[in-house]
Amino acid sequence: MLPQKMKKAITDNPKQLANLIDLVNLPSTLRDFVGQSQISHLGCFVRVWSYIKTNNLQDPNNKNVVNCDEKLKSILLGKQQVELVELPALIKLHFPKQKKFP
Amino acid sequence: MGKFPPSFRSAIPSTSLIKNRPSQQLQQPHYSPKKPTKKNTPQPHETQTPPPHKSLFKTSSLNEAKILFNSLVSTTKPRLPDNLRLHNSFLQSYTSISTLDDSISLLDHMVKTLPSLSPDRSTYHVLLSQSCREPDSSLYSVQKVLNLMVNKGLKPNQVTVDVAIRSLCTVGRVDDAVLLVKEFSSKHSKPDTFTYNFLVKCLCKSRIFNSAYSFIDEMKNSFDINPDLVTYTILIDNVCNAKNIREADRLVAVLKECGLKPDAFLYNTIMKGYCLLNKGIEAVRIYKQMKEEGVEPDLITYNTLIFGLSKCGRVSEAKKFLKIMVESGHFPDAVTYTSLMNGMCREGDVLGAVALLEEMELKGCSPNSCTYNTLLHGFCKGRMLNKGVELYGVMKKGGMKLETASYATFVRALCREGRVAEAYEVFDYAVESKSLPDVAAYTTLESTLKWLKKARENGLAV
Repeated sequence: MLPQKMKKAITDNPKQLANLIDLVNLPSTLRDFVGQSQISHLGCFVRVWSYIKTNNLQDPNNKNVVNCDEKLKSILLGKQQVELVELPALIKLHFPKQKKFP
Repeated sequence: MGKFPPSFRSAIPSTSLIKNRPSQQLQQPHYSPKKPTKKNTPQPHETQTPPPHKSLFKTSSLNEAKILFNSLVSTTKPRLPDNLRLHNSFLQSYTSISTLDDSISLLDHMVKTLPSLSPDRSTYHVLLSQSCREPDSSLYSVQKVLNLMVNKGLKPNQVTVDVAIRSLCTVGRVDDAVLLVKEFSSKHSKPDTFTYNFLVKCLCKSRIFNSAYSFIDEMKNSFDINPDLVTYTILIDNVCNAKNIREADRLVAVLKECGLKPDAFLYNTIMKGYCLLNKGIEAVRIYKQMKEEGVEPDLITYNTLIFGLSKCGRVSEAKKFLKIMVESGHFPDAVTYTSLMNGMCREGDVLGAVALLEEMELKGCSPNSCTYNTLLHGFCKGRMLNKGVELYGVMKKGGMKLETASYATFVRALCREGRVAEAYEVFDYAVESKSLPDVAAYTTLESTLKWLKKARENGLAV
């Protein structure tokens, strides 16, 4: 049953999947952060999330909040604190193509 | 991909749940070096004669193959000549990387250098299966090999048909396979039931049902090959998977007319069809019919029945059948229990499901990852998140994979309680354990968080 569902999701919505996996040329701010000139939306998210984990940026009192360091601030709209809830949305901002999806 | 050295993990507060992991990983390397050394030393003595032609050919060049064969003949002279098998596998490994024409030339060369070698059917079958894999769209190369065979005085037999059909079907040339079977039937030999049923199965999978029906009709009318019970089971299975249960009923009537008697296999297939359509009552009807006709239900019958009843919310009846099943001497397995747990979770009786888990383990039946996924799903749906987290810990320790549904439910439940960091951690585990595609895992997380954000804006969630 499950693979069928997946298949359906892909055939229904190839664009959405492609938007997540396709490599995108990055603007300079993001390029400095990831150290590559191209990355996919998904790859970028995973990169940022692992950056948060390796650098222990989650607030010790409330794990759902990230205290941004300078590097992270540069790509997340310069916010001092970011909630994990908004992280995908913030990263999505760097991949505007996605917005064309109705 | 969030992959860190184990030492890093314990430093990350959000993943404190997996404290045990690094120590486990460290232990393993300690043990592993010992085992291979122990095993490796005696092995060379046991396998003195390793197969000489494993990955024998580096290139598909014909000349090199010929030279290799010559050296093989000259070095191992005493026992080679009468060993046809060796030559066949020699040819086989060459064909697998080269073209048909080159392979035929190699065979010619082999026969020339070694006059005592007389290729038999199996030698030509090697070539035949290669010829089916040739990329041309006609059956020309297949015919070529067959002609070679006939010229050598070897008449194609049922094995030849089978080899050709299976090779053609595996590369997706089902239509060609049908053509070839007809040709074989009129010229040489009819396919046996295994070949016939295999082809019917391939037809059902790749074409519309009508093509399978017309194939069956044609074989019946022109060559007097009748479908047997297995054929009907294949047909019914495919019809049921397409949710066309009425057609399945018709097929049962047809097969009874032909004088065939349905067996447990066939009934199980129909029962599965009803279960897919959430018609548990009909499944029970089939069960009764089986009993009436004296067909003994087997483990699969009961598993299907319990699955179907659980699925459509008739858990009490499912439990009744579990009892009947045990009384009639069958041992319920992990599938049985998991189906029943699934039903109980659907009813909201998660605690009952957990009790069943204990009972199951008491009886010596160990749960599998599907069982755990079912329970995880149940806990999340039943708003017992803490128990779910506990169970997730156990699953993680056992390295079990998450299923898409239970992953999504779990992530949603965590987010609903405001435990977003934990949801991220589950995402990491799902990606790391390759439970589901990265994209699927991410899309679920993203949409859940989007929903949470909206809910918060409307003052609905934590």
